[in-house]
Amino acid sequence: MEEGTAAMKNGQAKIEFQNVSKTFIQKQTQRVHVLDDISLTVAENEFLVIVGPGQSGKSTLLRIAGGLERPSSGRVTLDGQEITKPGPDRSMVFQTYSLFPWRTVAGNVEAGLRFRGVEKRKRRETAHRCIELVGLKGFEKAFPHQLSGGMKQRVGIARAYANNPEVLLLDEPFGQLDAQTRILMEMEVQRIWQQEKRTVLFVTNNIDEAIYLGDRIITLDGKLPGRLSGEYKVDLPRPREHTEVEFLSLRRKITDSTQLIL
Amino acid sequence: MTSQTNAPASIPNRAPLSQRLAALVHSIIGSRYFLYTLSIAIFLSIWDLAAVNKVLGNFLPRPVEVLIQLWSLNAEPLASKTLFEHLWASIYRVLIGWAIGVIVAVPLGVFMGLNPYVKAVVKPVFDLLKPMPPISWISLSILWFGLGEESKVFIIAIGSFVPCILNSYNGIRLIDPALYDAARMLGASRRQEILEVGFFASAPAIFAGLQISLSIAWSCVLAAELVGSRSGMGFIIILGMNQSAPALIIAGMVVIAVTACLISVLMERLENIICPWKRELPQ
Repeated sequence: MEEGTAAMKNGQAKIEFQNVSKTFIQKQTQRVHVLDDISLTVAENEFLVIVGPGQSGKSTLLRIAGGLERPSSGRVTLDGQEITKPGPDRSMVFQTYSLFPWRTVAGNVEAGLRFRGVEKRKRRETAHRCIELVGLKGFEKAFPHQLSGGMKQRVGIARAYANNPEVLLLDEPFGQLDAQTRILMEMEVQRIWQQEKRTVLFVTNNIDEAIYLGDRIITLDGKLPGRLSGEYKVDLPRPREHTEVEFLSLRRKITDSTQLIL
Repeated sequence: MTSQTNAPASIPNRAPLSQRLAALVHSIIGSRYFLYTLSIAIFLSIWDLAAVNKVLGNFLPRPVEVLIQLWSLNAEPLASKTLFEHLWASIYRVLIGWAIGVIVAVPLGVFMGLNPYVKAVVKPVFDLLKPMPPISWISLSILWFGLGEESKVFIIAIGSFVPCILNSYNGIRLIDPALYDAARMLGASRRQEILEVGFFASAPAIFAGLQISLSIAWSCVLAAELVGSRSGMGFIIILGMNQSAPALIIAGMVVIAVTACLISVLMERLENIICPWKRELPQ
């Protein structure tokens, strides 16, 4: 996308959570209050990171934005339109990868286009471009079980991009990776995002990851129901260094004012 | 010195002959194939010893006698059928009965997994029938269908039915819901979800069901042929009993084992071709 239009649109509200609450009903009687009155705006092409410990409802928040769950009250809009179900304008990257094990890398990446009935030649073209974007050229014919965790998630990201969505939803995408691969993948996500800007909602429990990647960080409380507990703007130039003074002081600020310790 | 004893294979040619010899012996004894051969040789020897010493009276033939019996079975027809015709009679019954069982059970199991109403209707009856060993149906089957092919096919179909429906149902039911989420996020319709995720994700489990039911089908065909038949491997075995010819019985058992083994290898090959990804899925 050209810089001009991107800059123009920047700052406009892309996604809006309006007083979103969610209660799950388990075994017909048990009610679990997961999210409480969340209001939040994500700007066009903003990289927003939602940080919270395990069981803070952050994944549910993302699933509501994806349309996989409906809020119990309140609403979420995309460009003013209420989100009620999954749509081609949003793609999700899952913590457990959720690749189709029966498809090759290329087959996984073009899955969304196949569902939409895009013709084969066009699918191949897009898949090829996205696989190249995530640095997996040469692995088109590999099956997911032949790939390492980091490579699997690269496929997940390529698959999300192949649909050419306006919004990317990443649900703890690196939660299953080792520390080294994780940092490498954070760098990769940043590179990919700078190359192909999208509105990003990124969920993580890792503060370092949040500061490294985010334009803005939203923190969730540690206990259910999840409530927004803080908002931090990250005004550091990219690529960031984990050891920069500003990086570390922001990190201290976040850890001091929340129950997050990581 | 210690490094040499630890790695006998890497002893240089200049080492003394005794050491090189020791290394050679070590590598032969350590070889898998040597141990396999040894294991079978020991088994056959014990068998032969037991037969020669009449541990089981007159009814344990020597391995050699079984081999000779196999050879003569091939040469002279039994009840006007050659060995291969008997074998084919059994295989034919297995294939027909198994196919019927599979064609009914797999779709039923799949729909049980997909639709709670189908499940609510089918499952109670299925749970009632499940614990009954298929062979216990033999008497009823003969009363209903007579001593002809139908009664045997019926038993085999019943035997194949149970593991097939169970594996298909569980194959669908135990699909990781995250895969459905992924498909939905990518824009799959409900139909595409079932076709893409349901079909492929359950394929390895369904295939396992096919394999289990095929081996059950083999036991069923034998049981059915033992009860009343003029052809098939079960007939050969019962003939061996009636004629007090244990070599004939064991020859029949060997042919059955080899055939069943070949078929299961074939199925495994087929599965690897159809589901090349299956290694990742928990079974």
